[in-house]
Parts: sequence; C-alpha cells; structure tokens
Amino acid sequence: MEWGPLILTFKLAFVATLFLLIVSIPLAYWLAYSKTKIKPVIETLVSMPLVLPPTVIGFYLLVAFSPSSTLGEWLDQWFRLQLVFSFEGLVFASVIYSLPFMVHPIQSGLSNLSPSLKEASYVLGKSRTQTLFKILLPNIKSSLLTGIVLAFAHTIGEFGVVLMIGGNIPDKTRVASIAIYDQVESLNYGAANTYSIILFALTFLILLMVYLVNGKQLKPFWK
Amino acid sequence: MNNLSGQIEQISTEGNLSLVQVNCEGTMLSAIVIETPKTAPYLRVGNHVNLVFKETEVVLGKGLHHQVSMQNKLPGKVVSVESGKLLSRLVLDTTAGQIISVITTNAVSNLSLKKGSEVMAMIKTNEIMLSS
Amino acid sequence: MIELAFYKKLNSPSGQMKLELDLTFEAGTFLSVYGKSGAGKTSILRILAGLLNADAGRIAVNNNLWLETSKGINLKSQKRKVGFLFQDYALFPNMSVEENLRFALEKNGDPKIVSDLIALTELGDLRQHKPTTLSGGQQQRVALARALVRQPELLMLDEPLSALDQEMRVKLQDYILEAHRTWNLTTIMISHDISEIFKMSDQVLMLDEGKMIKYAPPHEVFAQKSVSGKFQFTGEVVGIEKEEVIYIITVLIGKDAVKVVADENEATKLQLGDKVLVASKAFNPIIKKLS
Repeated sequence: MEWGPLILTFKLAFVATLFLLIVSIPLAYWLAYSKTKIKPVIETLVSMPLVLPPTVIGFYLLVAFSPSSTLGEWLDQWFRLQLVFSFEGLVFASVIYSLPFMVHPIQSGLSNLSPSLKEASYVLGKSRTQTLFKILLPNIKSSLLTGIVLAFAHTIGEFGVVLMIGGNIPDKTRVASIAIYDQVESLNYGAANTYSIILFALTFLILLMVYLVNGKQLKPFWK
Repeated sequence: MNNLSGQIEQISTEGNLSLVQVNCEGTMLSAIVIETPKTAPYLRVGNHVNLVFKETEVVLGKGLHHQVSMQNKLPGKVVSVESGKLLSRLVLDTTAGQIISVITTNAVSNLSLKKGSEVMAMIKTNEIMLSS
Repeated sequence: MIELAFYKKLNSPSGQMKLELDLTFEAGTFLSVYGKSGAGKTSILRILAGLLNADAGRIAVNNNLWLETSKGINLKSQKRKVGFLFQDYALFPNMSVEENLRFALEKNGDPKIVSDLIALTELGDLRQHKPTTLSGGQQQRVALARALVRQPELLMLDEPLSALDQEMRVKLQDYILEAHRTWNLTTIMISHDISEIFKMSDQVLMLDEGKMIKYAPPHEVFAQKSVSGKFQFTGEVVGIEKEEVIYIITVLIGKDAVKVVADENEATKLQLGDKVLVASKAFNPIIKKLS
C-alpha cells in the first residue's frame, strides 16, 4: 500500500473545503436574504449535486474543460490552467460537487437568525461586511462547522466525478477512492481493505466530532 | 353616573376655586371646582357643559319644602323603584332631566316612597363634576 | 423639529393597507404611538430607521433630510442617527453585555459613554455576562443602553416593556425617562398601556388602519371628555360584579386594584379589559399620613 492516494485525498479535501468556504458564504448570504425571482433557480442548481449521478457532473465538466473546447482552450491560454486530468481540475469539480453540503447549513443558519440582529447592527451604524463578520458568522458557528465538516467528508468520499475529470494519475489525481477501485480491479483485496478501513475510520471520527460538538458545546452559543 | 346638560350662567372665582352656576332647562344648579377660567378654557359663561354626579350622592326628601344647606334642589316624581335588601335604585323625572338616586331600602320604606311620589332630589355643590 | 410625511402600501393579513402619516413635532418630545396590532405602528418606526422603504414622502430630523423621495434622497440606516429598541431586544449572543455596547461605538467614539450607560442602567455586575444568561428585564436594559451609545437624534422603542412584569416595567420606564431627559432625546415609543403612556409621553399618536386618527397630549386622547375631577386615574377593568341594584367595578390602576360603584347604565357598557378613566372630586378622598 502507498500513502500517496491518502495524502492526496486529504490535500484535495482541505483545499476544496477552503474554496467552498470562500464561495459559499457570499452565496448562502445571498440565498438567505435575497427576494429576487431567480432565487429558486439558483437554489435548485446548488442542490443538483445531491441528486445527479456524480458521473453526469464529471462528464459535463470533462466536456467543458477539455483542451479542445472553447472554455478549456481559453483557460489554458490566459491562465495556463488545465482542469482536465489535473489536481486543479479535481479541486474545481469537488467544489461544485460538494457545494450543497457547505451552502445549505450556512444558509439555514443565517435564515434561522432573528432578522433583528442584522437590523440592529445596521441601525448601530455598521456596514454589511462588518455585520456579516462580527455578528452573523460568529452566531452561526455550529452551522459553519457542520458545513465545513460535511463538505470535507463528502469530498473524501467522492468517486465518480474524480474518475471522470481526473482519471487515475498517481500523485496527481489518484485519490483514495480511485486507488481502492484500482486495487479491486487488480484483485488486490488486501490493499483495498486497508485504504477502505482508514477512510471508514477517519470519516467516522470526523462526523462523530460534529455531532458531539454541535450537540453539546455549540448550542448555547446560538440559541 | 348621572349626567345633566346645561349652559353656564355665572362663574365666581376665588383663588383656585370657582363656583359655577349652570342653567339646566330652567333649573339652576351649582358646582364648585378646583379650576379657574384660566386653567380650564371650557369655563366660560354661555358654554354648554355636562354636570356629572354619582347616583349614590343624590339625597331625596319627601315633599317639596325643606330647610337644608344643599343648594342643588331638583323637584320631581319617582318613575320607578327597584329595591334590593340593602339598597334601592330610584329613577326620577326632575325639572332638569331624568336622574337616578341610590339610597338605602330602609330610607325608601321610612319615607314610603313609591312610583309617583313627589320628591326633592338634592346634590351637594362639591359632588358635581363638570365635563365639557 | 421632526417632520414626518410619508406614504406606504402595506400588506396586512386583512388585505392591503395604506400607511399615511403627516406629522411635525418639536425635538425633545416623548411621543407614544398607540393603536391596534396591525395598525402600522412598527412600520412607522422601521421607515424612520431606514429598515423599510416608504413609497413616497419626506423625513427631516433637526434640519437633516433623511428621506425625500422626490429628490431621490434616502439615507441608509447606518447614516441615520437612530437608536432602536427591538421587540426581541436583538442583543448579539456572541458578545458580552459590555461588548454589545462597545460594538455600537463609532470609530472615534469616546468609550466613556459605555461606562456611563452601564452605570445609568445599573449593569455593572453583569458587564461580562452573555445576553442569553440574563433575565428579560436585564436584556431590556442592555438593549436600551446599547441603543443610546451613539447618542441618537431619535430613540425608537418598539413596545419595549410588554413582556415584563409590572414591577420591572415601572423600573424600566424610569430608566427610559431618565435617559430621555439626560440626553435631551426625541423619543418615539409604541405602547399598548395607557397608564404607561400617561406617565411617559408628551404627545400621543393614535393610529388606526394606517391612518392617524388623533394626535394630542395623552389626557386629550384618552379622556374623551375631559372631566373637572382632580382625582383622575386610568386603569383597566378587571372585575364587574352586580350587588343588588348597583354594580361594583374593580379597576387595576398601576399595580393597585381599586373598586368603584357604578350604575347599571355604565356597568352594562363595560367589559373586562376595557380601559377606563376613574375620576372623583378632590373634595371626596380623605388623606392620612402613613407612619
């Protein structure tokens, strides 16, 4: 067994979660407070990865970003960015694929806050940004933690999207889930089992932490 | 609460007190209030005011001639008597309008008041409130 | 001088309602807004605070224009110097009492006001506490103190005392009055409680279905016919009993229940919960020194 795929998996999960956090906070803020008519459309798009087979997402991303496509060519020319069969591509795909897991908890956390908190801050002369960082986010810590952990764990567990857009390149795109599949294909059940047990144990621990922390310590903070 | 309306005919003021004479359909009634025309704009000769006083403050005398200190005397007839064990409620038709008097049932039987009895209803000057 | 003249269509449970207000009053006034729920009281405060947009109108506070729709002027909440006491207090749960107040300080604000306010509202012992650990009355005091940190031109209180018991209420009324006088505030308070309105306000705005139906000092608004009786109180009917030919009405005035004898004619018009004026001539009550 090699450690490469496991390290790659966690590196991917970490980077993807970081990007997810940056993308999801403004998106969830908009979804929680906006009243525009296109909101349901955006909400639906964000939730699509929950129901679509990962291979569908992977397939379209592959088509969109392949160097022969206009978008892929443009990205390569201007940013020297290749999103197909590369780690960057995996990060991008993971962000799309895990988006609902990050956006939903943050959105519902914000919607559950009393609207007067935000208004009280405005009336006290504080800008939207100050209000977001000093009032809103600190009061949805448990939602943020839930989002971070779910997105992290979900990225660890992805397979279809990764296989489609990343392929199986050692140390670049061969994450643990792919490695397991690979080992099984070559009838190497022992190695597959090791990867699997490590993944199983780690994700169990991560999720257990969320339930323990959210159940006990964080609740008094926001209710 | 009895409520009679009338027109102010005269106001005599001394310090913070005013004695107000009100003409209620020809019968003169007087009320003393802790107000002066300066503090209460409605105190003006010619103004219409309501005289307000409690039923329990209406004293009844049988017959029409009494020597008492009370200034407000309204001659009238008993229209109805409703008696409880302790208290009775009498509706009176007086020269100033219909009023109600609540007195003890003992008093009603002592004076043998009944429907049609001629009475004099009397109210102390300091028991009447004015309302604009 | 505070000038308010605005118009807004509101969606209420009973259909659409037009909120219309045209009112000018002196700075330093304590104004109470009274009316049924759904009459548009809170919307007035929200429009003043810039939390709700009026369809058309003008708001000028001490010669500063906050809103003038015809000129496209509409100051943001942040730019209007208002203090707003929300019905649910809206204290920030992630901050301690003192942090809540400090948060309200302007960039170059003098932190001394925070300690002054903590002293005024007697919150010294609680300054490190989180809002969720405080009682309703304590939270209310924190919210009041926080609303005063910016020394607002307009202090607005959205039914601040309705959730408190009588004793706490009286105490908070005193805090509010003291703040109103100390800082020369212009205060607008929504209240359902007539005795509270009598105690605190200079003027009352009575609202019905979004329309201003009365604007006058409390005794003119509530004592429909002003009576000359010098012994006057407003209270709430809490008991109606018939005794033989008379009725005994129990009226709650402040926290004391008093009994008043009434004739059938009046008693039958009364219902439990009615607001009433109890009046007597100054000649009747006796007075006795309490040792």
